[in-house]
Amino acid sequence: MRRRWFLLGGIALFVLGLWVLKAHPRELVPSEGGRQLASDFFGAALRPALDYEDRAIRSVGEPFATKVAKAAWLTVKYAVVAMSLALILGIFGGVLGSRAWWTRGSLFLTSLRIGVRLLATALRSVHELIWAILFLAAVGSSPFAAMLAMALPYGGTLAKVFSELLDEADQGAAQVMQAGGGRGFAAFLGTAVGALPDLLTYAMYRLECAVRSSAVLGFVGVPTLGYEIKVSFEDGHYHEIWTFVFVLLLIVLFFEGWGGRIRRMLVQGVVPKVNLGKKSTLAELWQARGKSWFLRLTLLSLVTLIAVGWLLEDSWGATLSYEQRMANLSRFWSELVPYPVRESGDWGDTWGWFMGLMREEGLVALWRTFHLGTAAALLAGAVALLGLVLSARTLATGSPREVRVDGGRLRSLLGKGVRVSAVLGRSAPEYLLAFLLLQIFGPTMWALIFALAIHNSGILSRLGSEVIDNNRSGAATVMIASGGNRSATLLGALLPTGFNRMVLFLFYRWETCIREATILGMLGVGSLGFLISEARVSFFYDELLLWIIMGSLLVFIGDIVSDLVRLRLKK
Amino acid sequence: MFTLQSVELRYGGTVALDGLDLDIKSGEQVCLIGPSGAGKSSLLGLLNGRTAATSGHVSVEGTDLAKLSGKELQKLRSRIAWVPQDLGLVSSLRVHQNVACGRVAEKGFWGLLRSLLGMRASEKAVIHELLKRVGIEEKIFQRADHLSGGQQQRVAIARALYQQPSAILADEPVSAVDPERARDLVALLSTLAKEEGVTLVMSLHDLTLARQFFDRVIGLRDGRVVFDGRADDAGVRDLYRLGGEAMPDPSVVS
Repeated sequence: MRRRWFLLGGIALFVLGLWVLKAHPRELVPSEGGRQLASDFFGAALRPALDYEDRAIRSVGEPFATKVAKAAWLTVKYAVVAMSLALILGIFGGVLGSRAWWTRGSLFLTSLRIGVRLLATALRSVHELIWAILFLAAVGSSPFAAMLAMALPYGGTLAKVFSELLDEADQGAAQVMQAGGGRGFAAFLGTAVGALPDLLTYAMYRLECAVRSSAVLGFVGVPTLGYEIKVSFEDGHYHEIWTFVFVLLLIVLFFEGWGGRIRRMLVQGVVPKVNLGKKSTLAELWQARGKSWFLRLTLLSLVTLIAVGWLLEDSWGATLSYEQRMANLSRFWSELVPYPVRESGDWGDTWGWFMGLMREEGLVALWRTFHLGTAAALLAGAVALLGLVLSARTLATGSPREVRVDGGRLRSLLGKGVRVSAVLGRSAPEYLLAFLLLQIFGPTMWALIFALAIHNSGILSRLGSEVIDNNRSGAATVMIASGGNRSATLLGALLPTGFNRMVLFLFYRWETCIREATILGMLGVGSLGFLISEARVSFFYDELLLWIIMGSLLVFIGDIVSDLVRLRLKK
Repeated sequence: MFTLQSVELRYGGTVALDGLDLDIKSGEQVCLIGPSGAGKSSLLGLLNGRTAATSGHVSVEGTDLAKLSGKELQKLRSRIAWVPQDLGLVSSLRVHQNVACGRVAEKGFWGLLRSLLGMRASEKAVIHELLKRVGIEEKIFQRADHLSGGQQQRVAIARALYQQPSAILADEPVSAVDPERARDLVALLSTLAKEEGVTLVMSLHDLTLARQFFDRVIGLRDGRVVFDGRADDAGVRDLYRLGGEAMPDPSVVS
C-alpha cells in the first residue's frame, strides 16, 4: 500500500513540476531551426574533427591535436590537484565528523562532530561552479581559485561520506583493541583500516566526478575541455565540439574503469600464486605473498599525477598582481553589503531589500529550482526502472542464478545498448548536456529536465542493476525457472524485495539533482541559477550572495530531508 | 585474579546478573556455561571493565575496577585479552598485521601504524613463531578474509597471545565451527593458556567440551550461578538440569 502511494505521489509531483516549470509537451518538438541544428550537430558526431574546422587557423595556431591534449591535461590536472586538497579536508573532516574513534562521548566531542558535519554540508551545498564564480569575482581569474572552487565542495562531500562510512564500518576490531587497553585513536585504526577499501573506492569515484566538474568549470572561463566546447559552439564548429566531448568521455570512462578495478582488487585482495607449506621460511613466505602490481602502479601514478599537477603550474597565484587582487577583493567585499545599506548605512534596510527581492523573483525561482530537481530525479528513476528489464544481468541472461534465460540476439543487443547508454549518460556532465540540449530545444525547461535525467538515469540504472543482481531471493529464481517473463519477475519477485533500496538511491540522486538544479539556470532558463548569472554579469554582488545563500539553503534542506528519509528506509 | 562480590548488572529494567559472588584464581581455567541470555557475555564484559556493575564489586588482581581512572583501566586491560564471538579481525588486513593489533596498548597509535605500514623483520619473526604454535604459520602473509573460519579463529587466538596477557576472556569463540574443529580449538587455547600460565575464562554452549577441557565449570541461568565446581558425574547431572533444551547433549543423556 505504501509503495502504491509512493508511486502515485511521485507521478503527481512530476506532473505538478511540469506545470510549475511551464514545460508543455508541445515544446518537446524542436522548431524547424532546432531540428536543422540537431541534425547538423548530431551528424557531426560521426566525423569528429581531427584538425581545425577554420582553415585559416590551421597554418597560424598550434596544431589542433596539441590544443585538445592541452585542454584534456588541464581538465585532469585541475581535477587531480583539487582532489588532493579535498582529500586532506575529507580525511580530517571525516574523522572529526565520525564517532568511531570515541571510547566515551562528551558534550565537546558531540558538538565537534555536529559542527564538522554541518560545515561539511555547508561546503558541499554550494556548487563548485558557484564557488568558482565567487572566487573569480573576488580575486579575478587564477588557476588556484579554480582549483579551490572544486576542492571546497568536494572536501565537504568527502568529509560527509567518509564520516558516514567510518560510522557504518565494522567496529569489531576496534572493540577488541579497546578491550585490550588501546586508546581512542589507536583502537580507531582497526575501524579505519577496515573501512579503507570503501573510503578509497569512494575517493576514486569523486575523482571521476572531479574530472567532469573540471570540464564544466570551462563554462566560466577556466581553460579546460568545457571551455573549448563552449568556444567551438559559439563558432559553430560542431565537429570540433565532438572531438572535445569524446575526449572528455574517454577520460571519464578511463577513471571509471580504473576506479572499478581498484575496488575489485581492494575488496577481493590478491591470492598468492604459490601455496607454500609449513616448512617454508619467513623470507619465502614473504616472497610468495599476494601482491598487486596494479595497486602499486596506481599509487605511484596518483602520487606522480598530484605532484606533477601542483608543480607544473607556474602561476597558481594569478595573472593579476597581488595589489590588483587585493583591490578586487576589497571592492567585492564592500559590494556584498546590500545595496540600500550601502546607501543609508542602516542595516535595518536589509529586511525590506531581502523581502522585495524574494517577492519579486526569489521565491518563484526557488520553487522552480526545487521542481526542476524533483521532476528530473523522478524521470531518471522511471527511466532507470524501465531499463532494468534489459540492463540487469539477472533478467538479461539469468546467469547469476544459474537459470538460463533464452533472450535471443535482439534482446541481448538491446540490453547492451541500454547498458552502454547508461555508461555514456553518467559520464557526461549535466551542465554540458543541458548546454547542448538547450541549443536543440530552445529555451525550455525540458532541456534542463532531460539533461539532469539522462545523467542520473545512467547512475540509477547501474545502482538498480546492482540491487537486482545482488538479490538472492529464491522467489525470483523460481519465477525465472518456471518460465516467468522478465517484467513479471521484476514486478513480482525482484522489485518488492529491492524497493526500499531503490527508493534510497532515488533520494540520494534527488539530493544531487537539487544541487545541480541550482546552477543549470545559469544557462539562461528561469530558475535560481539564472538569477545568480544575472547578478554576476550586472556586478550586483549583494544579490549574487543572496541567491547563492538561498540555493545553498535549498540544497541544505534537500540534504537533511534525504538523509532523514534514507535513515528511515535503512531501518 | 578476578573477584566478584554481590555483583548486580541491569540493562534498564532487565536484570542480566543477579547477586554474583565468584573468585577465579590466577592461572585457573574456567568455563562458563548456560543457555542464551543466562548472563555469560555480561559476566565476561564485567571482568575487563567493558561494562560496569550496577552494584557490588568487581576486582582484578585485588584492584576494584570502579576505583580506577580511565588510564589505569586501560593499563589493566592491556593485560587481559578478549576473543569475541565474531573474532573482531580486520578482514582486509593480512594475518601478521591482525596479530600485531594485539599489542595496541603498548604500541599506541604511531607504533601500530608503523607495524601496519611496514613491520620490522624482528616483529614478523616473533609473530611467525607464535603462528607456528597455533598451526597456521604458512598463512602469515595472507589476508584474513582469505582464511577458513577455523583458521581465522586461530588468528584471533594468536592475537590474544601476542598481547602477552595474564588472562584471556573468550566469548563463545567456537560457536560458528563444526564440533571437530571446535574441539581442536578449545584444546589449543586451553593448552596454550596452560603453557603460558594464563588465566582462561571461556564461555561455551557445548557441555561435552566443557567437561573435557575444564576442571572448573560455572553454570549460569537467569543471571545467577547455579553450579560451580568440577565437571564430575554429580556435577554433570546438575549441568544437565541447568541446560534443559538449550543444551542438548546426547553423550550426557546416554
